[in-house]
Amino acid sequence: MPLSTQSQGDDEQYVLVANLDNARNLSNILKAIAFKDHAIFTATTNGLKVTVEDSKCLQANAFIQAEIFQEFTIKEDLVAFQINLTVLLDCLNIFGGTTTPGVSTALRMCYRGYGYPLTLFLEEGGVVTVCKINTQEPEEPIDFEFCSTNVTNKVILQSESLKEAFSELDMTSEVLQITMSPSQPYFRLSTFGNAGNAHYDYSKDSDMMELFKCTETQTNRYKMSLLKPSTKALALSCKVSVRTDNRGFLSLQYLVRNDDGQICFVEYYCCPDEEVEEN
Amino acid sequence: MKSVLPLFRCSTSIEHSVKRCQISVSTGSDQVIVQFFCRHGITKTYNVRFLESEALQAVFASHLCPNVLKSPARLLGDMVMHFHASQEEVTLSMSAPKVSLRNYNEGRNDHMKMMHTEMSLHPDEFDYFQAGMDSDITFCLKELRGLLCFAESHCLPVSVHFGTPGKPVCFSVEDMVLEATVVLATLADFESRGPSQPTETPAPTTHSCADAAALPVGIHETQSNNLQVLPDVTELVESSQGSPITYPPVLMQLQCQGDSACAGMTPPSSMICSLLFEAMSSEPGDDDDDGAPRLPVLAYFSDEEDYPRSPSL
Repeated sequence: MPLSTQSQGDDEQYVLVANLDNARNLSNILKAIAFKDHAIFTATTNGLKVTVEDSKCLQANAFIQAEIFQEFTIKEDLVAFQINLTVLLDCLNIFGGTTTPGVSTALRMCYRGYGYPLTLFLEEGGVVTVCKINTQEPEEPIDFEFCSTNVTNKVILQSESLKEAFSELDMTSEVLQITMSPSQPYFRLSTFGNAGNAHYDYSKDSDMMELFKCTETQTNRYKMSLLKPSTKALALSCKVSVRTDNRGFLSLQYLVRNDDGQICFVEYYCCPDEEVEEN
Repeated sequence: MKSVLPLFRCSTSIEHSVKRCQISVSTGSDQVIVQFFCRHGITKTYNVRFLESEALQAVFASHLCPNVLKSPARLLGDMVMHFHASQEEVTLSMSAPKVSLRNYNEGRNDHMKMMHTEMSLHPDEFDYFQAGMDSDITFCLKELRGLLCFAESHCLPVSVHFGTPGKPVCFSVEDMVLEATVVLATLADFESRGPSQPTETPAPTTHSCADAAALPVGIHETQSNNLQVLPDVTELVESSQGSPITYPPVLMQLQCQGDSACAGMTPPSSMICSLLFEAMSSEPGDDDDDGAPRLPVLAYFSDEEDYPRSPSL
């Protein structure tokens, strides 16, 4: 592969080098969280985590493990930078999005460190493109303090059934209400739109329900506008886990299989919509 | 309708995923509850708010209609297929030897630019044919298309009951589990009786060709040399709400009922002038053949937008 014949000397200066034979394995998953222009890249020896946030209420993370890459070399414990995700995706797709079988864009992603741009070497059919994208000081991602010990309700569903529900959701509703309960209606998605209410009930015995662990009845509302981007991740995924904690914070975790059948994860955290009591 | 239709349209695989649909009305909360019981233990519930409204009642006795047609929906579907998708109204003509369907265009000003389509069928094509009286009725095609689409998908025969122009036309389909009736208002078009009168027999095709050559006011000669006066559309159609019926001015109501009356007529242009003056000064009741009451004209044909459409009930 042409990109790997770079002289060893070049590699010395990079704190992060990541090679992918098929750039789509990265670009597809990044598209699932690309609802904002800017993303925070955090790299560790485990792999790459890309974070996008909205209004301090929503956070989406895409995890691409080191094993997904053909080569993943990191010289520091933690490498982090902020970058324009839209530009990055445009570069990753610079050869066009054609899905001719057997033809894929190879990627070599290099980063020299703080203050340096992210360098992308992209190759397809013998043609090499070099992109250098400026990086910014990374903002601290929000810590939603969502930990498994505080999880009150958890379900794992096959994405197929949720995909249908999300595509039919009444968009005139400002909120999406999620009810999880050990008794009826078990798992319910509700919208309150202009024409009326809609409820999608999933029985705990449904064959779409892979796991059902609800300890208490909880009903929480989330802004529809915040959750709408998650449908992209849902579309890519084969399974989704829905968890709420004692504060009503929502965690959606999507299991995504890439072109080569490898598993990546995308997760969304969302704050509940606080209702202002008017007494 | 807009809030209910999307519920049934939303899923592309609705036939496969929905096992049962239950519709109920909750009077306490003014809601219609539509529930879909789907596969995989999924239930979808929609609560749609409704508003109290008065339903229009079409007071219409279809069994008293002189003209009846019955045919598979396919036949009527094939007839309407030939009309352009944007064609709003059509005229169904019934006379003993045949049934024809032609497009109806308001505002006879663009005769040269319009395409006239006419389709005629022999009574034998229909499962049932009853021609009590010769009649031409004009109604909205869109609503008929909707019903035909439904009837065709269920392979149901369609019955058509109608009478004089101005009276409603009723299209109905019936099955073991359902019965659907669509009652449409028709244009109160007195003059269109012209070609189908027993005393006159111009071929319909020449009728349309003559249309093409007609003067804007609408007086023209047919091949058999009968002068016919076609209306500029100004009438309001009788609706179930009882809005007033308007008849066109006198000049539009004159008809030539036979060759003898029309032979040797002065050229059309001078005919128009004399009629116009007559309209301004005449007393009601003189020239009107059918003796229909004459009300003052409420709206003149000044604007395209003023031309009323045949409302459907």
